[in-house]
Amino acid sequence: MDFVILSIVMLVIGIYGLLTKRDLLKVFVSVELIATAATLNFVMLTSAGNGLGQAFLVLAFATDTAVGALVLALLLIAYKKYGTSDIGEIMRIEQDKKEGEREV
Amino acid sequence: MILELISIGLVISACLTIFLDEAVYSVLALTGTFLLTALLYALSGALFAAIFQFAMGVGTLAILFLSGEMLSKKPPKIPKERLLSLVAVGALLSLPMLFLSVSSPMNVFSDVQFEEALWRLRAGDVLLQGLVVLTVSVGIAIFLHEKKKGEE
Repeated sequence: MDFVILSIVMLVIGIYGLLTKRDLLKVFVSVELIATAATLNFVMLTSAGNGLGQAFLVLAFATDTAVGALVLALLLIAYKKYGTSDIGEIMRIEQDKKEGEREV
Repeated sequence: MILELISIGLVISACLTIFLDEAVYSVLALTGTFLLTALLYALSGALFAAIFQFAMGVGTLAILFLSGEMLSKKPPKIPKERLLSLVAVGALLSLPMLFLSVSSPMNVFSDVQFEEALWRLRAGDVLLQGLVVLTVSVGIAIFLHEKKKGEE
């Protein structure tokens, strides 16, 4: 049983979600999965009971939470402005807007 | 044996998190991922890590669940076949970790205590990170305030 491979598998699943999902909330969930995979490495690579790995984990959590708050704020603003959280849809609306301005 | 079972559950719930289409179900599966990770830490002897994982997971999931409820329509029922196939994919993906090995445990800092590591070895990091988090939160507050002002 190897925790590094477990971490790699979770990282791959997270990256797959980040690349293929078009919903902003799902993108955020993928980022959370990637962060979990990284923190799992911190704890398990320095042998689980070790203080240094856990200290790194606490620092990683702080960054992760800040990133989460930022992404959620952006998500809410995008939803309010465009009425959808789908990235493709948002891009299409913006493109239509630009084309409309060009025609005028 | 129990660690292996938890790890397989972790991969399966990660698969469900990504491949389930509705945001609410996805967040529910992410709950499983966070809880199993906390359990894995606790059983491996990293108690502080388990507590932090649990506390942070609960906070993140509460917000995510509310956002998911708010932003998506009522989720339809998941077909049983799809759920079973996703569990099978998760179990299949967890096979390499059970049978392959790429590392040996490195006990470089084996006698470092958590308090010593956090407040002596990485004290600068802790302070800087506090500053970063504070800046980000103030930035978000100003951003949202300006946005609200612009709408009025």
